[in-house]
Amino acid sequence: MSQARSETDPIGALLRGEPGALARAISNVERRNAAGRQALASIGPHLGRARVIGVTGVPGAGKSTLISRYVGELRRMDMRVGVIAVDPSSPVSGGAVLGDRIRMAEHATDAGVFVRSLASRGQAGGLAPVATHVVDLMDAAGWDRIVIETVGAGQGEIDIADAADIRIVVCAAGLGDDVQAIKAGILEIADVLVVNKADLDGGATTVNQLESMLALRAESARDVSVYKTTATTGEGVAELAGGIETRLAAQTTRGVRSPKRVRRLLAAAAGNHLAKRLRDCDDPWLMSICESLQSGALDLEGAAQQVLRSGRISDE
Amino acid sequence: MSQRPVQIPLPGFEAARARWQDTYNQQMGEEKVRRNRSGVEIRALYTPGDWSGERYLEDLGFPGEAPMTRGIYPSMHRGRTWSQRQLIGLGTPEDYNARLARILDAGGSAVSLIPCNSVYRGFDADEVDALLLGTCGAVVNTVDDMDTCFEGVDVAALSTAMNDPLPFTLLALLLAVAKRRGIPWDKVTGTSNQSDYISHFVANHMFFRIALPGSRRVLVDHIDFASRRLPGWNPLSVVGQHMQQGGATPAEAMGLTLSTAVQYAEDCIARGMDPDTFLPRFTFFFDISISFFEEVAKMRAGRRIWCRLVRERFGAQDPRSWRFKFHGQTSGVDLTRQQPLNNIARVTAQAMAGIFGGLQSLHTDSHDEVLSVPTEDAARIAISTQNILREEAHLVDVIDPLGGSYYVEKLTDDMEEEILSVMKRVDDAGGMYRAVESGMVQSMIGASALAFQEKIESGEQTVVGVNAYRVEEDGSSRGALSRPLPEVMQTQLDRLARYKASREMAAVNAALDALARSAHDDGENVYEKVVDAAVAGATHGEIVARLREEMGFGEPLVQV
Amino acid sequence: MTTPREEPARVLVTKLGLDGHDRGSRVVAAFLRDAGMEVIYTSPWQEIAAVVQLALQEDVDVIGISSLATDHLLVPKLTMALAEAGLGHVRVVVGGIVPDEDESMLLDAGVSRVFHPGSTREEITTKVDELARRARDRRMS
Repeated sequence: MSQARSETDPIGALLRGEPGALARAISNVERRNAAGRQALASIGPHLGRARVIGVTGVPGAGKSTLISRYVGELRRMDMRVGVIAVDPSSPVSGGAVLGDRIRMAEHATDAGVFVRSLASRGQAGGLAPVATHVVDLMDAAGWDRIVIETVGAGQGEIDIADAADIRIVVCAAGLGDDVQAIKAGILEIADVLVVNKADLDGGATTVNQLESMLALRAESARDVSVYKTTATTGEGVAELAGGIETRLAAQTTRGVRSPKRVRRLLAAAAGNHLAKRLRDCDDPWLMSICESLQSGALDLEGAAQQVLRSGRISDE
Repeated sequence: MSQRPVQIPLPGFEAARARWQDTYNQQMGEEKVRRNRSGVEIRALYTPGDWSGERYLEDLGFPGEAPMTRGIYPSMHRGRTWSQRQLIGLGTPEDYNARLARILDAGGSAVSLIPCNSVYRGFDADEVDALLLGTCGAVVNTVDDMDTCFEGVDVAALSTAMNDPLPFTLLALLLAVAKRRGIPWDKVTGTSNQSDYISHFVANHMFFRIALPGSRRVLVDHIDFASRRLPGWNPLSVVGQHMQQGGATPAEAMGLTLSTAVQYAEDCIARGMDPDTFLPRFTFFFDISISFFEEVAKMRAGRRIWCRLVRERFGAQDPRSWRFKFHGQTSGVDLTRQQPLNNIARVTAQAMAGIFGGLQSLHTDSHDEVLSVPTEDAARIAISTQNILREEAHLVDVIDPLGGSYYVEKLTDDMEEEILSVMKRVDDAGGMYRAVESGMVQSMIGASALAFQEKIESGEQTVVGVNAYRVEEDGSSRGALSRPLPEVMQTQLDRLARYKASREMAAVNAALDALARSAHDDGENVYEKVVDAAVAGATHGEIVARLREEMGFGEPLVQV
Repeated sequence: MTTPREEPARVLVTKLGLDGHDRGSRVVAAFLRDAGMEVIYTSPWQEIAAVVQLALQEDVDVIGISSLATDHLLVPKLTMALAEAGLGHVRVVVGGIVPDEDESMLLDAGVSRVFHPGSTREEITTKVDELARRARDRRMS
């Protein structure tokens, strides 16, 4: 039975594209266990085919329906598509309700579409590292295009965008004054802006507002395309998909490989390890620093410097 | 709290009230504030300080006169008792016909047709797993099926509530039967019971078939068609039951329902229809929970709000437009599986609330409703309950008997305030259609559902037999349930196959093509084409599938 | 809940068949989330093949089927399909209206537990957490 074989050779099964092996590898990587680290260490030579598209947008923009249609276009182009749908974990319970698959129902029995729901699990350094790991696993398993879906327009979404080659922000038509309100932040780093529900009143106005906003930017920051779509009917989605492919082809260096991105990803990955270590470790060296901090013998900056100088912050 | 101050000219009143309050406080000590399901504070006692008769004409009026708080007709249940409309539907059209005959023999004149879940989902019987057929409703796919349902019955003498969502294929099949039998369509009487696509989108997704924008169009086409061709048919029933069963509080359910009706009215007006043409045909459908006085107040407040709203907002002149006509169904959500005979007492309380609330028609649930489709014995008890309340307890000898009760009038005012605040939130969100698109309504309902569940879990809300007064039970009190035999369903499937093979396919295809074209032509009436297709011999599933192709497969916005 | 933060149980909450009432499943999803689990939530009317693909991709530990009417009659087909796909370790529970006479049939078909109306938050979350652990242990072995 294939399950037994893949259990004995999980990396091989992953590289053959077996969905069960990919799913389990993703779980291991999320849990940061030895099997996960081993998988990441083994797949290096097999990376490079996939391209990553990050999609975010505020609730009500119809982003999920749009993504489902976009995936349909990619399938028509004969590409295998991975979707990583990210939702926040509850800071109180640590649990999460992951509902992004609801609007992907049309692909539910298509073996060429692999959808994985990820909860943020309280990562201090942001989710880009774990998303990057999942992307790499999907890449190694033979998926061509990987969509990372997040909801919102805040810092968390900006951080995850580091894992994507092309960053897309979806707005709803009739955004009005909200364009002004959200122009700082996620809109600044978008490569592609989509005005969805473009059939509604205000569709053309919203496009105009976005284009005016772009025109005010410095020349170097103006290479942003604006598309109009109506996700419910699929109108405009083929053009959007074509436009994304054009941009991907034009990237001489992949977006995720730019020097700044690489630096930020490294900072986030290292930061996550450090934060986890400090949260979970009860060793005497750390406890004594904490006690000094509590009693006021050490100030916060001093304590942080001591931790970094300690030589014990790796968890291996 | 209501802003209307009330003068108490009675000498000695304040002193007497203070005396009572002191004694009460001494006996009761520190008390937690009690609230009903809608969040309205409920105190121990109500007096003329809360409501006085000087507001009678302005806020209550006489039955049948604005603002209609006491009832929409001058004689209410004394003149014409509420119609007893029991839901039936199970198995094959023959099964339906048999149960229908028994109901008519027992004196009923109003019936419902509940179709199978496969029909609700828009499929013919050959498109779903056979295990699921006919277990909760009748399998009706073709004009022959509909003919069999009403075999030996004079359709023109009966009022039928068709539990049939957009695009109302079952009504179309019924009209095809009427045509076959030479019955003019203006004699066909009844209601499109599941015409409220917004409530389906939000809270009872199983009836949602085509995408939201298409649904918006087809509903107005249906109302327009009925106005012109079906004078005996109510094309719209706005269903508060779905919202309340989905978890909305009674005030939210009423507020969201009224907002939905406003949306539909505005859509009809935008089509150029005159309010006084369509408003008299708007009917409503409410869940009646066991929160007794809250339900009575909810219904009275609803009547008052609607009467004022249609006059102020739509300029309705015809008094028939001001009447808030509604059907009530006792709420299955309050019933329990544990000690199921207790449900008879629950349904009695709920039915009484509906009667005192002034409904126009009532369905009482059977005590075994939570187990499966009701058995005949249980259904009989449910009807007897109504007869006992009416004829032994004489609950209808007086119109609006709770009117003038300090508590009920104050509660009606308070519920009105809650309801209006919900309606304002919807208005601020751009109207009901936009509010559901954005998910605001679903979030509201979901939050209330969770809050209520927490009250049950914590024991704050008692549920007898479940979180209090529990007993060890075996399953012996629960009778066996009927389920259609696989052979019987196979016969139905064979019949469907023969029907499909024996038609004039050219006519069917032409009609389906015309239907498809009408979906893209604003000058056409889509519902008219649905009816034409049924008359030409198309099946229910074929009609729905074709419209889904043109207008999109309906996916409700499930909010987590 | 005692499961470590980076290993929350993963539970699918879904509906098969034709029924569309989802108030119960939404409330249960919230309970499980508040108990520290990751809940993958779908709309109703899922096909069996879709549930199997989802369970595979999401590496779920437990599947919760919310059922009204006769939708529970489809669950044995699901447990069989899960086994065929190499997902025999995944535990399945059913919640909702299930007639007594069908409960033993479901248990025989591999369902771990049937939750009837009146089941408390505590009962459900405790049982699901326990089943999630067992599912993981079974997969390791």
